[in-house]
Amino acid sequence: MQREAWVILIILLLAGAVTYAHITTTTEDYSRHNIGWNGTSNLGLKEVEELPTEGILLIIAPDKPFTSEEAGYLRAFLESGGTLIIADKDGTANPLLEALGSAMRIQPGNLSSLERDHVDPRIFRVHVTGNATIFAGIETLLVNHPAAVRGGEALLETSPLTWDDADGDGRPGDTFGKRVVCAREGNLIVLGDPGLFINAMHNENPEFIGNLQSVLIERTHSRTGTKNPIINTLTWIQETPLAGAALAALAILPVAYHFGRKRE
Amino acid sequence: MSGGKKYYAAAVLAIWLIIITFFMILNRTLDLEVFFVLSLIGLLVVAVLIDGAFSRPRYMRYISYLIAAGVALFAYIVVEKILEIIAT
Amino acid sequence: MRPRASHIILVAAVVLVIAILGIHATAPILYSAENISTDAHADPSTIKKRSPGDAAAVIPLMDELLGETGTLALTIKLKDYENAERDLARYTDLSGRFDRLVITLDASDTDIGEFQQKNRANLDSLATLLDDSRRLDDLKRLEIEVRGDEGQHTAIIYEGEALRQKMRQSFSSYQERETAVTRIAGNYNLDTTPYQESIEDFAEVADAADDWRKKVGGNTPPSPLSITLSPTGGSYGDTIRISGRYTGTPPDTPAEVYVDSRLARSPVFDESGHYTCTYRIGRISAGPHIVYATAGPAYSDVRTFTVFPGNTTLTLALAGVNRTTVACTGTLTTGNRSVANAPIALRVDTTMLVTAETDGNGTYEKEITLPAGEHTIRAEFHGAGFPLNLSESETGTFHVPDDLPSPLPLIAGIAALLGTGWYLRRRQETPDEAPPETPPKPPEEEIESPAIDITGLPPRDAATVLFHLLRARLGLSETKTPRDCAKVAHARFFERYERIRYAGEVPTEEELRWMEDIVRGEDAHAA
Repeated sequence: MQREAWVILIILLLAGAVTYAHITTTTEDYSRHNIGWNGTSNLGLKEVEELPTEGILLIIAPDKPFTSEEAGYLRAFLESGGTLIIADKDGTANPLLEALGSAMRIQPGNLSSLERDHVDPRIFRVHVTGNATIFAGIETLLVNHPAAVRGGEALLETSPLTWDDADGDGRPGDTFGKRVVCAREGNLIVLGDPGLFINAMHNENPEFIGNLQSVLIERTHSRTGTKNPIINTLTWIQETPLAGAALAALAILPVAYHFGRKRE
Repeated sequence: MSGGKKYYAAAVLAIWLIIITFFMILNRTLDLEVFFVLSLIGLLVVAVLIDGAFSRPRYMRYISYLIAAGVALFAYIVVEKILEIIAT
Repeated sequence: MRPRASHIILVAAVVLVIAILGIHATAPILYSAENISTDAHADPSTIKKRSPGDAAAVIPLMDELLGETGTLALTIKLKDYENAERDLARYTDLSGRFDRLVITLDASDTDIGEFQQKNRANLDSLATLLDDSRRLDDLKRLEIEVRGDEGQHTAIIYEGEALRQKMRQSFSSYQERETAVTRIAGNYNLDTTPYQESIEDFAEVADAADDWRKKVGGNTPPSPLSITLSPTGGSYGDTIRISGRYTGTPPDTPAEVYVDSRLARSPVFDESGHYTCTYRIGRISAGPHIVYATAGPAYSDVRTFTVFPGNTTLTLALAGVNRTTVACTGTLTTGNRSVANAPIALRVDTTMLVTAETDGNGTYEKEITLPAGEHTIRAEFHGAGFPLNLSESETGTFHVPDDLPSPLPLIAGIAALLGTGWYLRRRQETPDEAPPETPPKPPEEEIESPAIDITGLPPRDAATVLFHLLRARLGLSETKTPRDCAKVAHARFFERYERIRYAGEVPTEEELRWMEDIVRGEDAHAA
């Protein structure tokens, strides 16, 4: 009888561990709770909500619009010497770029290249031109379905045999040309591929991830959060010590009561 | 407990199959041939370990047939893979 | 043993699982991560890699082609015909490679495809320039030699005039292409200086021909042979009517009509000195083409007709010939005319190219053997050498089922089965006979037998006594072990006894009684 009880206990523990792992992870793109190929769980960068006064700030794939107040704060951050990196491929950051007074814009599209290592034409290597600390010591980067960036000083350039696949059939379109995937204007850097930060791309660009050590991720607008309410609740409990204490007390009280009663 | 060894053997075999399935899912590749070969190894190991020197319980009587069938299928898979390698 | 519900369920489950496994047995890889992607990006570790191939060679090759035009035009201008032949051969080779590269990369629809067409036209122009230059030099030499002979001199003048007009025409079409070529070259930051120089050299060669003509044959009468073309333009399949008249007595030999310096027709003169023939526009490139006629020593003026590019339609139909081979048939038409002897490229799975050719009716047919899996096939016509625009057919799919398992592994499997069976049998000491049927229940008759007395003995010893008794009653010798006895009869009894005796298990009261019953039953049989 005892042996069977042990077996059942072990099975329940295993099932519990699997359920926990299932509940506390998600499959959303760019989420830091996503341990799969398209999450940013291995990025290991600090996240901030309040804007610092200096340093390198990274916004990954923003999906919420920026209010004019927030644009103002970002402008102050840029003017005080901080570097802002906006990584976006849908064009959602274009209103922010306008509000910051920049001439750079993101052009969403299907950039494809003939010079590539993979069967998918939208995964290819770009060359590093220009100077930027995040690209220091790197010659080429592998990008993953990037978007082109218009304006600014070019930091990442594709090969001349690159075209924008408008009809999505993977075949070369009308004109080839060199496109820019990342550009800078002073302290503002616009990167057309937030996919550089997902777990699957860390092995392809190890030096780039190494260069990101001191970068801070802006939490409110980057898509590194999750819509999953359970994970959000758990994170909130972890962050507010009062809630943690309350939960612990809630768990201990019935046990103490039970043992207290028994002694009597 | 009568038949305790029988249940142990079945449980160990089941746990081994679960372990290989877990690693196959982790690797994102589900291959029947790999699964079969690893489970045959598990069966052989378990059969050797529980075989008593002096007695042959009923549940061990017919395991030789099962092992023979398993080895036949294993030989088929091995020769098929060799042909595949030679053909390239 | 009575079948219990759990046994039935177990057997049913085993049969079901084996059936499901059997269905998937021919395709053992049930799932593998391939091409995993979301809207925003793809997982590069699941995307198949391919060799970067020749895409990197495109731009350097374009650079080399432009450079070759420069060197070739220069060597022609300097009349270094040996080196010019070598340069021309190299240029042709590079152009061929570039053509193949463009088709393989499926870039025919882009400005690189346009560059390729312009390059081909440039190659033709420069090749013709080389031939014409050489011929002109010969004429220059001959002209000096035959200064005295009026007749031959006139003939040389006429031919020289025809050559001059040809070179002029050729130069104008070569120069026409300059804007397009420099525009495309600018896109890729290519060095166009050799190309510009080649245009200048070409101009100098044409001017030199002009100068020579003015110098030598300034007051030669116009040629007696006239030529007219009607119409002066057409598309593939149209006919151009070439006619003319020889003022004076026509020579006995027929006239020779040259299209692009190649003999096309030899029409005979009629009594009034007229000649006429038709030329059907076939496999020549689009653009201007040069026509002139000769009759004896006389050369006519050079006329041009323009070939307009036409659109084409290409069809493709797939029919399976057998499990692994597919027959691709289709027709290539322009307007309502079929295009004969045209090269068709069949693109299998976007990377492999198979060539076919249309026959006299414009239909092509090709059989392709494919490995297992789904395949897409598309037919493409690249208009090489034809005054036709490129076109492609619809993409068809063809599914090749997996091979049937070959017999060799099956034989190996059966051999392994037999081998294992033989080995396992050898391990057993006695042959494996089916034990004789033993009644599962103890016999009904229970006769008291005085020889069984196990009261007061400890359980294991009691079992030993019962074992000895049963063995004796079955008539087996004392040397038989319980396992040997089990093969003969009462297997359960002997197996149980074996466990009791050797594994140290203790029989319960109920078991002892059951063993006693068996012995008594045996008594009854024996008695």
